[in-house]
Amino acid sequence: MTHQRLTSRRMAIALLLVFVVAALFLTRLVDVQVVRASELQEQSEAIRTTQETVWASRGSIVDSFGNDLAVDVDRYDISADPSVAGDFRRDGEIVSLESAMADIAQLTGAVAEELIYAVRQDPDSRFTYLVKGVSPETRLALRELGIPWLQIDLVRERTYPFGAVAGNITGMLGTDRPLAGVELDWDDCLAAHNGVATYQRGADGVRLPGTTTTVEAPVHGGDVVLTLDSDLQWYALQQLADHGSRLGAESGSAMVVRVNDGHILAAADWPTFDPNDFSQTPTSNTGARIFSSPYEPGSIMKAIGVAMLIDAGYTYAEDRIVAPGFFEVYSGRYIKNYSVAQDTQLTTAGVLQTSSNTGMSVLADRMPAATATRYFEKFGFGEITAVDFLGESQGVVNSGDSLDIVTRYNQFFGQGISVTAAQMAGSYQALANDGVRLPLRLVDGCRSIDGEWVSAPTAEPVTVVSPTAAQQVVRSLETIVSQGPLRNTLSIPGYRVAAKTGTAEIADATGYGDDRVISLAGMAPAEDPEYVVLVSFTKPQTSRVSSAAAPAFHDVMSHVLKHYRVAPSSAPAVLPPVTW
Amino acid sequence: MTAVAMTSSRRSSNKPTPSRSATRPAQAASAPKLRYIVVTLVGIFAIIGGQLLLSISVSSGAYEISSLKSEMRSSQQSLQIVGEEIGALNAPDTLASLAASMGMVEDNNPAYLRVSDGIVLGEALPADPSEQAGVVGVTAGTEAPVVAPIISDVSAALSAQAVVEMSAEDALAQALSVETEIQEGSIQPAMVVTTAPTTFGGSIPSPSTR
Repeated sequence: MTHQRLTSRRMAIALLLVFVVAALFLTRLVDVQVVRASELQEQSEAIRTTQETVWASRGSIVDSFGNDLAVDVDRYDISADPSVAGDFRRDGEIVSLESAMADIAQLTGAVAEELIYAVRQDPDSRFTYLVKGVSPETRLALRELGIPWLQIDLVRERTYPFGAVAGNITGMLGTDRPLAGVELDWDDCLAAHNGVATYQRGADGVRLPGTTTTVEAPVHGGDVVLTLDSDLQWYALQQLADHGSRLGAESGSAMVVRVNDGHILAAADWPTFDPNDFSQTPTSNTGARIFSSPYEPGSIMKAIGVAMLIDAGYTYAEDRIVAPGFFEVYSGRYIKNYSVAQDTQLTTAGVLQTSSNTGMSVLADRMPAATATRYFEKFGFGEITAVDFLGESQGVVNSGDSLDIVTRYNQFFGQGISVTAAQMAGSYQALANDGVRLPLRLVDGCRSIDGEWVSAPTAEPVTVVSPTAAQQVVRSLETIVSQGPLRNTLSIPGYRVAAKTGTAEIADATGYGDDRVISLAGMAPAEDPEYVVLVSFTKPQTSRVSSAAAPAFHDVMSHVLKHYRVAPSSAPAVLPPVTW
Repeated sequence: MTAVAMTSSRRSSNKPTPSRSATRPAQAASAPKLRYIVVTLVGIFAIIGGQLLLSISVSSGAYEISSLKSEMRSSQQSLQIVGEEIGALNAPDTLASLAASMGMVEDNNPAYLRVSDGIVLGEALPADPSEQAGVVGVTAGTEAPVVAPIISDVSAALSAQAVVEMSAEDALAQALSVETEIQEGSIQPAMVVTTAPTTFGGSIPSPSTR
């Protein structure tokens, strides 16, 4: 029996031990599974979980043919971990830090010594940038190097594939925000918001299936579609640069407008800038002067002046007047012509052809000042265009009390009134379009990522003058190209072209100085105008007369006609006489 | 294990078989029990094994997804690289300078042939190469122009091709002159027209076809 009792006691002790151990385990189990469960789970997830940026693309800016003018691309930031950066083993061979850096430098165009310094200057740190924004090809080559301490991170970068071609219009992106142009003006459409996603991964870095959680979905930006034609824009810019540098001009602008819908096909400013690299560019070159710089346009305004006089019934193209050698505004104050100092028998068409200031003044005298102001405003002067470009200037139309007696006449030949090149092109569009001024259009609209199209705001067409007034002016302007002194430079064989020259004096603090703005504005084919072209150069040095702008106008206009396959004119021109 | 025991005991109570009343009850009872145990164990192991296989295939699928995804990324990358190259080549100034390097000149006074009546509109005069300005800088020289490597590659390839085409042109001219001689005797206009143009591989599409 003692043996039996002994056994049962042992059994009891063993059982007790088992219970105690089981109780301990149970306590631990409850502690881990119930009491601290959520806390521990969080910890473990935090260890396994990685957060990543889901990149969203900023929308592209495209021209009317869908060519990318501004687009987001993948670029890579290359960084290193200085605490472990050093010699490493590749294919069984030891590669030194110096030779690795030399390889990186060769691929990226960086300086090897600077890269070595970057990792050596603070050997305890865990992170330092080596090269930022390398291309995908370079990234692939860098990965081939098999450097263990090299880290490559994706970033999105803005590029402008056509470089300087439309930089004045697209504007550019700074490090964290748009700085100018359509990039800034249409940021609401273009802007993208990066998303955040988390996922869990195993020790070998492989993503565990089914663990990816999108914390915040990426929102891609929409595309902004412009009315520009990049090829034409480039061509216009080339002509400005070529002729402008020959003239020693300070700057130049060119605009091409399609008559039947007011679309701006080219809006070039020279000198311009490359939005890919503008750090060295003076700020005066980074904008769109065509919209933002008002100037006194000079004689190209005479076409507008004559159109309003004809519309109001004060004259007509064949109307005979005597343009005096000097036009006396008031006692002792005269308006004179550029060259002619004697009385000339001209028709109204002749006033335009010879660009007679005194003849223009005789005609302007017939119209009350307030009426003239109202017409100028209907032509779109004194208010920004429908494009509503960022920083667009509205120019100045003097009226009422601010309109002195000399300015009242001067306005008709483009002095004492300031306009932008865009406004001027818009007013010629009205002349070309039988007197109906269509709102200028540069941005067609915004196409969101899911295909939704939002058209850019526009304005109502304005009937400025009657069709017959507009047509009479176009016929008169045709005499300049077919009979005027510039006919050899301006005429395009096979086409009827109507154009007006302008040489404006630039006012400075002391009044009108020696500097000029020379310009040409015109349309073709004259029998039924399809395109309006305006070319202007500011402060030309080698020649200060408007004829110097004629070759550039001719080249742009002839290119436009060729580029858009405009059929040559077949009907012979019936033009008004210029003298009597 | 308890489940197994319960099942087997329930089964045995529910199914009173004639063998139960046999002379060796213990042996008779243990035989079906053993069978149940074996069947159950095999079932359990089959389930565990199946689950193991499934999770192996899921995780190897994860590796496959991961490799496919990286393949997709690299394909997208190649697409982007090529897209950027096309963008660079498509830039108007690149096209113009490449065209100029091939000896193309621009004619600012175009002439047209009207098909309906064969009349030439405009003055058909050859362009004057001396009037060509070439491609000029537009940024007042403040930045160094960035030339994508692809552009110099294509430029080099084009000038090499130009040499080849020039000799092809000579060969064609020769062939045509021979063929014209034959033609004078027998009129076979279709022959010349169909064979001639194929020799020129048009190297640059005209701007309007873009």
